[in-house]
Amino acid sequence: MSSRKAWGLLALALALVMALPLGVCAQDKVIKIGAMYPMTGRPGLYGLDSVAAAEMAVAEINAKGGVKGHKLVFINTDSQAKPDLAVQIAKRYISSENVHFIFGEVSSGAGLALTEVSSQYKKIFIGTDHASTQLTSDKLQPYYFRVSNNTFQSMAAGALYLKERQASKPWTTLAYIGPDYAYGHDQWNELKYNLDRFGVKYKVVGEYWPKLAAPDYTAFITAIMKDKPDILVGGLWGGDTVAFIKQALPYGLFQKMLYFSPDGGGNYELMSATGDELPVGLALSGRHHNNWPDTAANKKFVQDFFKKAGRYPSYAAEGAYSGIYAIAQAVEQVGNPADTEALVKAFEGMKIKLPEDPEGFTSYIDPLTHQIVQVQAIGETIANKDFPPATRMLGNWKVYKAEEIMPPVEYLKDHSSEYLKGRLPK
Amino acid sequence: MDLSSLLVQFVSGLSTATLLFLVASGLTLIFGVGGVFNFAHGSFYMLGAYLAYTFVATVKLNFWVAALAAALGAGILGMLAEALILRRIYGRAEEGGFQILLTYSLILIIDDLVKLTWGTEYKSLSRPPGLGGALVMGDLVLPSYNLAIIGVGLLVVVLAWLVLTRTRPGRIARATALDRETLGLLGINVPLTMTVIFGIATALGGLTGALAAPLRSVTPGAGIEVIIDALIVVVLGGMGNFWGAWLAALLLGEVNAVAVAVAPEWASLFSYLVMVVTLIFKPEGLFAPRQVRKV
Repeated sequence: MSSRKAWGLLALALALVMALPLGVCAQDKVIKIGAMYPMTGRPGLYGLDSVAAAEMAVAEINAKGGVKGHKLVFINTDSQAKPDLAVQIAKRYISSENVHFIFGEVSSGAGLALTEVSSQYKKIFIGTDHASTQLTSDKLQPYYFRVSNNTFQSMAAGALYLKERQASKPWTTLAYIGPDYAYGHDQWNELKYNLDRFGVKYKVVGEYWPKLAAPDYTAFITAIMKDKPDILVGGLWGGDTVAFIKQALPYGLFQKMLYFSPDGGGNYELMSATGDELPVGLALSGRHHNNWPDTAANKKFVQDFFKKAGRYPSYAAEGAYSGIYAIAQAVEQVGNPADTEALVKAFEGMKIKLPEDPEGFTSYIDPLTHQIVQVQAIGETIANKDFPPATRMLGNWKVYKAEEIMPPVEYLKDHSSEYLKGRLPK
Repeated sequence: MDLSSLLVQFVSGLSTATLLFLVASGLTLIFGVGGVFNFAHGSFYMLGAYLAYTFVATVKLNFWVAALAAALGAGILGMLAEALILRRIYGRAEEGGFQILLTYSLILIIDDLVKLTWGTEYKSLSRPPGLGGALVMGDLVLPSYNLAIIGVGLLVVVLAWLVLTRTRPGRIARATALDRETLGLLGINVPLTMTVIFGIATALGGLTGALAAPLRSVTPGAGIEVIIDALIVVVLGGMGNFWGAWLAALLLGEVNAVAVAVAPEWASLFSYLVMVVTLIFKPEGLFAPRQVRKV
């Protein structure tokens, strides 16, 4: 053996010996979080932002010494937003990675598949930014908690917005365009349910169901123009919103009706992708906003994210950030990341101050449905160059109280899993 | 539905159809001449969109120059893909299955390369100056940029017809489709011909991506969005039939436009119905010349 080779082997052996005790130590006192986020395709940006923000939260907490002597360890695997792949990853996390929590997923399809795994293995699943209400109603199971708004909350806020608007600028007709899968249909049904619940009179003049990620909306646009609704409700998200708005512009659609998209339509990615082309006066919202609430905590979150990622966050980032802090808070209270049943109790009713909370309000997890209860703000697009490359941001905010937009018990009675049914007040 | 809204829907359908045709034209050209089914054709469409974005936003080229440069770029990348990868499986017994697997892996590879180069944020281009508005005649609104695209589509059809029927390279291309071996015996460099045709086809894909960029969001994965519809067009038109693809795209664009207005809830069903019916009753394609059936 040449001496260089021998030295090399010796160095390797030394390195291994030195790393070994560290590894063992680390394994003794860790909180291990196994995340699944898409890193590719159209939802890839949501995944990348979620992972960057989750890592930011982990670094912040570990820098302060961790949680009760435990360091947080966060791992992510690209789920491609596919339910079958996400399930495979979660099972591997549980069986060979010994994770304490499964985490994430921006697609409701994958979220619904993962909640089954969580229920089967009694492993807590912290859901961030998949929005189907079913996860906290029809499909609720004991080990699932969601730390971002669901579509019901957005649509209840949306219905209140439309009700107020009817008083100031009378309108009567609605049309809807949304993707032809659960998310698109749920939003529309929940909006109509809430409009009825709040006693709003309206007439539906058109419903349109393009496929998700459809490249061309021209035929839909001209058909909507012919319907002449006062308000066009949009259930599109991400690149679909961008494409729809760009294609509708030369038709003058936005001068003829109000474009209203209160769930995912007001995500920052829309503003950054469309720049000056984005018309002012569209009424939009999202699950988090870079410029609302105007609090020190929100500003700090947005700026810290910018420093880390080199871009401003889309709304998915704050959801993942919140999820990590919720885990830290639960383990802080229980003391042991492996005591699942005690952790479930700690999550139920947990009060947690998050960047998206306005002054005087603290988010909390509804003990009944395991859904986080948060304030929702709906804004209008206005000129604003504070978050480049966007030149429009939302402003002229209307704010809706957290409790007002939660599903009422009558709704849950018709939409509850066996587990939830047993918990509903008689 | 009254006549004016029918006319509006018809023009909508025309603009949808033109982009459909432009994507499908390259796909059907490669299939017709080379017998290659390039599942990754959509990825060259996506590359065209990204290249156009860079040429406009970073290099500050005029939009139309950028679109041509993007087409050229996609064509060169296409030739590289053919010469380095696809060429190696020609003539193997398993060629058909291998082609699909190989070109499918190309989609994933190109998607990741795009992500590494441009990131995952949505990129977006404005319409070229002067074409941001629309011609308005009463209820009829015709966006100028959509009209320009319809014009480009017609230009491609005419140019392709001229090249394929009136020039020597065009005749060689058609001969390649019929009998590669004999052509080789006649002293034509067949591998080079295949590479060039692949380049022209992917350049058409890239051109379409560049033209579509101001209307759509430019994201990784954008290629997958267009490939299925393009495939339907190619099948309907008759695999490899250039003119058939044009007529099939028109048919599909119009079926979709009318369906959206008349039966919005079932709109996406109709294009697939047209395909199913065609596959059952005229599998050689709606616009294929009548074949003599041997008894």
